[in-house]
Amino acid sequence: MKCIRCLEGEASVVAKAPDGSGAWEIYKCARCNYGWRNTEPAKMLDPATRDPFFQMVNVDLDKLLTPCPIPPLRK
Amino acid sequence: MFKDLRQFLEKLEQEGQLVHYTDEVMPEPDIRAISRASADIGPTGPAVLIENVKGYKGKKIAVNVHGSWANHALMLGMPKTTSLKEQFFELARRWDSYPGEVRWVDDPACQEVILDDFNLLELLPVYKVNENDGGFYLSKASVVSKDPDDPDNFDKQNVGIYRLQVQDANTIAMQGLPFHDIAIHMRKAEERGEALPVAICLGVDPMLSFMASTPIAYDQSEYKYTAAINGVPMELAKTTDGKLDVPAGAEYVLEGEIVPRVRVCEGPFGEFPGSYSGARKQVIIKIHRVTHRRDPIFENLYLGRPWTEIDTLLGLNTCIPIHKQLRETMPEVKAVNALYQHGLTVIIAMESRLGGYAKSVAFRAASTPHGISYVKNIILVDADVDPFNLVQVMWAMSTRIRGPQDVIVVPSTPGMPLDPGSEPPGMGCKVIIDCTTPVAPEPKMRDVKMVELIPESAAFQKILSDMHQKIAAR
Repeated sequence: MKCIRCLEGEASVVAKAPDGSGAWEIYKCARCNYGWRNTEPAKMLDPATRDPFFQMVNVDLDKLLTPCPIPPLRK
Repeated sequence: MFKDLRQFLEKLEQEGQLVHYTDEVMPEPDIRAISRASADIGPTGPAVLIENVKGYKGKKIAVNVHGSWANHALMLGMPKTTSLKEQFFELARRWDSYPGEVRWVDDPACQEVILDDFNLLELLPVYKVNENDGGFYLSKASVVSKDPDDPDNFDKQNVGIYRLQVQDANTIAMQGLPFHDIAIHMRKAEERGEALPVAICLGVDPMLSFMASTPIAYDQSEYKYTAAINGVPMELAKTTDGKLDVPAGAEYVLEGEIVPRVRVCEGPFGEFPGSYSGARKQVIIKIHRVTHRRDPIFENLYLGRPWTEIDTLLGLNTCIPIHKQLRETMPEVKAVNALYQHGLTVIIAMESRLGGYAKSVAFRAASTPHGISYVKNIILVDADVDPFNLVQVMWAMSTRIRGPQDVIVVPSTPGMPLDPGSEPPGMGCKVIIDCTTPVAPEPKMRDVKMVELIPESAAFQKILSDMHQKIAAR
């Protein structure tokens, strides 16, 4: 299914309400790792109403800041 | 003192500092709204036990445990009305008892239940701490790791609170920043091409959460500090794989390892400066096993626009190390208030030994281990000003600053990457604001004397307060 943040089709269900109530499901995008629950406030669930500042459409994830870069292997 | 979170919650209950919220709530947005509200009650606000979360029936969430100065005083074993300044000096006194004693127990409470098959997003009642967070965060978890080059050195074992994004059933992304102790462990493990074992401990003795967020030296033990300040031995257990030491009374322990030489997208996350940090490439932890107490309590923390629980948690533990480090060579320093955004702004009360000495103190504060990256705005006040009383600090600023001599900006220094004013992230500046009265050989200010303090007023203040409380109780 489509990720509501990066809009790529790599999201899937990763959890369901553990009490068996069927109250909600949690989804995760395998690409940008965004996680969300289908009972969050409605404006957060529709890409059209989400704050564009936090959207990651066409963002090159490889170019994100890496606070702790991978060091060279010891010889 | 308190062996674990449960003992502390009992104390809070006895003192009227714990509220049970039993109406059904939604994970979003209700839990963050309740957390925000409890912090907004202010210096006497309660902790809240949220006991009925839709979809997570039977699970309990504790928030705002450290969220007020009243709760903070109780954590120290002091009356809940103890002033902030008194808590500061009591902590400074106990600090010198380091190292305290640690001991290991068999059959620890944290291993009453052992799970090898779990889904973290279902096991833990997680929720969005802030609306635009990139996922579901553990914001108050103590992460334990060892130095891969010196694994038998107990003191180099680190316990630190880092933000953790639970991404799926057994994957957690973690933010380590280069100046964090765990970043040293991560770097060494990755240089060796090895996984780094970690234990993520949730719901621990409140003093351990306090010490896990304290900037102490790399080879100082958070466990021994916790024991020293509590005045009783810290009880530890070995993780089930025997690799790490964890608090025996933890509510949950997630045992796993940092996957070497991998970075994934993590964030954003609403951070302690009251702003969101951007999405970053961070390490991931694979969890292999979860142990927990029976009927475990999930403790988490709200952080956002100050004042929130994190500001209280990080408050005095940021002040004390800077205070101690300054006083090692500058005993004229009387007290340090570094309560604001983990020390981005610091107020130092001091006596001037010689003309210009306040600037020397400022340089020293800016070059303490924590100060290098964090301490940005340094306000120096005279010793007769209480740095925890902002009315007095503003008075000092209003009446003792001479702009050209007393306000100095040092550009292009290290900065704190999460500070929105740090551009590019990691670069910053030092702003020195000297509100002290000049002493020789620096020329005096105009020939003005400040009005005297009135020492006799303290006794009358107590009498009036007692009279006031009696009237209010009628």
